[in-house]
Amino acid sequence: MLRNTHENESIDRLGQLVLRSAAEDETASQAAADAPFLYTRVRARIAEEQRVRNENGNWFSLLLIARRAIPAMALIALLAATVMFWSSRSTANPGWYRLDDEALSDTRNPGIEQTVLSRNNLTGDDIFNIVLEHNERRNDK
Amino acid sequence: MHPADELTDDALVAAASAGDEEAFEKLFERHRRQVARIAGRFFAQREQVEEIIQDAFTKVYFALHTYHGTHEASFRAWLAQITVNACYDHLRRARRRPEHELTEFTDNESQDISTQLRAAQSDIEGALVSRDLALKLLARLSPEDRLVLTWLDVEGFSVAEISEMTAWSISKVKVRAHRARAHLRRILRKFL
Repeated sequence: MLRNTHENESIDRLGQLVLRSAAEDETASQAAADAPFLYTRVRARIAEEQRVRNENGNWFSLLLIARRAIPAMALIALLAATVMFWSSRSTANPGWYRLDDEALSDTRNPGIEQTVLSRNNLTGDDIFNIVLEHNERRNDK
Repeated sequence: MHPADELTDDALVAAASAGDEEAFEKLFERHRRQVARIAGRFFAQREQVEEIIQDAFTKVYFALHTYHGTHEASFRAWLAQITVNACYDHLRRARRRPEHELTEFTDNESQDISTQLRAAQSDIEGALVSRDLALKLLARLSPEDRLVLTWLDVEGFSVAEISEMTAWSISKVKVRAHRARAHLRRILRKFL
């Protein structure tokens, strides 16, 4: 045990010597400190780092803006969905199921009927009379 | 004498923080040798030391606003801490790169180091170990181990000071130093 302790102390002293030897020679470090244009290179490194930080900062600010825009985008999407829903509901009842007299005299939706009528110089009353006559003839038969 | 020469480090930091490029250059001129000396404790090549100087002063530049000097030597201590952290980062990166993996000692080098260590063991006062071999031996330690031992045995920092510089707890510094010493012993024993 005592021998081990003594041996360890001896090796520790050697270790300290190795550490000091590694750190002793300052030629390289002083030559590095006196290297030409060292400050210019430091400034170049700073400029490069600044550029990288700015780029990262731009991306970050874009992300921040995008994050802030999320509620507004969601609101717009909701409004668009509501408008689409209502418009589909209002067009969901096509005119073809109203095959009655009211449909013939209906002027709310001029569309194709009005075009056909105007080409044949027929009024809504003419058509009404034609239909009545047609019905009467069928009843007589 | 230029007015910037008379200013204290803290005044130069304040001026540099406010965008005074000349004040930052003055700080660089004043302290580049200190940074080089610290880097030289960890790296043998001049290029590596230059790299650390550039790295350390770039970090200083962007951290100027975080510096709050409380006494005259504050800036030197703060700069030393930044420099050591830069060295530590480089050591870690070097260990991760495959091309920087530990090179084995050649037969001649093993012979040399055995001779030098045995001679040193018998006459520790007059002993000398070549720097290249010493650096090769220390490359077998982890960056943390090397850092702690260099600070304790070469720089003469106390455990409390190392704890402050590394932001490790006092007990972590002690444990790390104990393990580092044991590791260095194992390395040295192979050559004795």
